[in-house]
Amino acid sequence: MRTLTIACSIAALMAATPLSAQTLNVATAGDQNMVDYVKDYLGPMFEKAHPGVKVVSVGTGPGDSGSQKIYEKLDAQKASAATDFDVVVIHQKAAGTMVKEGLLAKYTGGVDTAKLVSSEAAKNALGADVSGYVLPMFQSQTALAYNADLLKTPPNSFAELKDWVSKNPKQFGYNGIKGGMSGVAFVTGWVYAFGGDADKLVKGPYDPAVKAGWDGALADLKTFNKNAVITPGNAGTLDMLNRGEIAMGPVWVDMFYSWQADGKLPPNMKLKLAAPGMPGQPMYYAVPEKTAHRKLAEAFIALATSPQVQADGIVKRFNWYPGIDAKNLEGKLDQAAWNKLFTDITPADLSSKAKPFPIAPYFNDILESYEKKVAN
Amino acid sequence: MAPNMLSQRQLALILIAPGLFLVAALFLYPLGFSLISAFTRPDGSLTLEWFAKAFELYSGDILFTIIIVVTSCVLTGLAAIAIAGTLTLGENRWVVGTLRALYRWPLFIPFIVAAQCMRTFLAKNGLMNNTFVSLGLMEPLSATSFLDWRGIIATFVWKQTPFVALLLAGALASIDRATLEAGRNLGASRPRVLFELALPQVMPTLLVALVLSFVTMLSVLSVPMMVAGSQPTMLTVDMAFRINAYGDYSTANALGVITYLISAGAAILYLKRGLAKEGAP
Repeated sequence: MRTLTIACSIAALMAATPLSAQTLNVATAGDQNMVDYVKDYLGPMFEKAHPGVKVVSVGTGPGDSGSQKIYEKLDAQKASAATDFDVVVIHQKAAGTMVKEGLLAKYTGGVDTAKLVSSEAAKNALGADVSGYVLPMFQSQTALAYNADLLKTPPNSFAELKDWVSKNPKQFGYNGIKGGMSGVAFVTGWVYAFGGDADKLVKGPYDPAVKAGWDGALADLKTFNKNAVITPGNAGTLDMLNRGEIAMGPVWVDMFYSWQADGKLPPNMKLKLAAPGMPGQPMYYAVPEKTAHRKLAEAFIALATSPQVQADGIVKRFNWYPGIDAKNLEGKLDQAAWNKLFTDITPADLSSKAKPFPIAPYFNDILESYEKKVAN
Repeated sequence: MAPNMLSQRQLALILIAPGLFLVAALFLYPLGFSLISAFTRPDGSLTLEWFAKAFELYSGDILFTIIIVVTSCVLTGLAAIAIAGTLTLGENRWVVGTLRALYRWPLFIPFIVAAQCMRTFLAKNGLMNNTFVSLGLMEPLSATSFLDWRGIIATFVWKQTPFVALLLAGALASIDRATLEAGRNLGASRPRVLFELALPQVMPTLLVALVLSFVTMLSVLSVPMMVAGSQPTMLTVDMAFRINAYGDYSTANALGVITYLISAGAAILYLKRGLAKEGAP
């Protein structure tokens, strides 16, 4: 893969140089749909607006390991005059490391659309200060999915959810913490709701004594679990919702919509983001410190984070939440696409209740405390 | 003659060398490595803290794993005896023929595929319950989900029974049929012939097959992960979680050592029986 990446970059450079045109190399960590998004959608649009520029899209593979490959490449080219990549699309964990090691440029001041971003994740990537270095491409979010036929008014908060579950035993299901991130997100949301100062978990600093304050919340969660169903995995929760075996459960929003589009979930399913909120994760646009095309890279990201592109590309074509504040998209989307993404969870909900995951040491503390106090 | 002998011995060494190398490189080295990691701190000093952590967090799962695997072994043994006994002593040719054609199938289905099938088959509103409901055998409201410990046991038994039955049927086919026929002639029922004449003669085979199944089931990750929720769950899932969520190889290795000890328990039972037999006149 790496050889291929390098070969592609070299080929692109060779193809571009004789024409004395500029080539913008965009490296994307993530699944193939994200690479295609740049190659088939963003790239051609940018080329049209900037004659003589060629956009080359390279994928480095899904998950944090995809971002790790971008990090290794930039790290290896630290000493050279210019890096091969001009724009990178990366995960939160890698973004923190790259900023710390000075591999990324502080570029958002040169991009107008940076003003449209409201999410906390644009400043803080799992505890690392990344403000100025990144703009979110999209936000993926967890939420409670529920069957609207069985449940007219879904709980508005975790406290209401607790009551609802004690009155409706075995109607709520989640996948614990070992079966995928939607369950982890639910447990994190629970600790945010009942474990004291949620802000500190997100912003730090780390204090090992904080976890002792979660005992009450986790004891409650253990009681809660007696009336909940533990499902086998992210897909397991969706499966059980589909078969009507549970009426509510936490899911990834983009997974929920693609399952519904494929007919694997009935249309009467809806989403709810209960207060104080549940975590989600963004992907970031960033610019390497040593890119040879800084201005062009900034223009590319400005286009990618403009309301129209966020509306048409991110929301309508790929069912992701926008990286910029959703209220900027009003009027840019046709009503059907708007309804689909924002009827259940309004832009105001997203901006107030879409939380980041906690900083890494607290994150591990939450998981291990859960294992100790709830699961065993 | 002597040089020739020597070269034959060398030849033998050369012949076993690749096997020995594979065992050393792919089993002994990782085993030693995981043992060391389970008993040492990052600075190299000896410690039992990983075991303390393993027991603190996963004592319930250790017990759960043992119960699941032992129960599955017992049920697998019973099902395999029923199948192998029918194949050996059955008198209805149609039944024996059908059974012979069908019973090996699960052998060729990987655990992960079996687990995926069970996920939709055993669910509350899954294929099995829906079939019962549509046949009028069950009220829809009384349907329950089997996607918990029962699902894991069902998958294990379904998957391992053909393996044990295959070995057992082979062993039963090779014993002296005269003894079985003598029993039948003297008026013993077929179950009695099976349990009092045939089975005692093939006990070692049954035991080997069950010990192998025991170790196999202990090591399966996909089935507990896919079929059941994670509380409680089997040790394989905990090991994977320790590594994926925390990068904590030490506690994962401590859990691995506990798994070794559990499977060593099964092996010792088997060896003891074998030794007792060899010692007998």
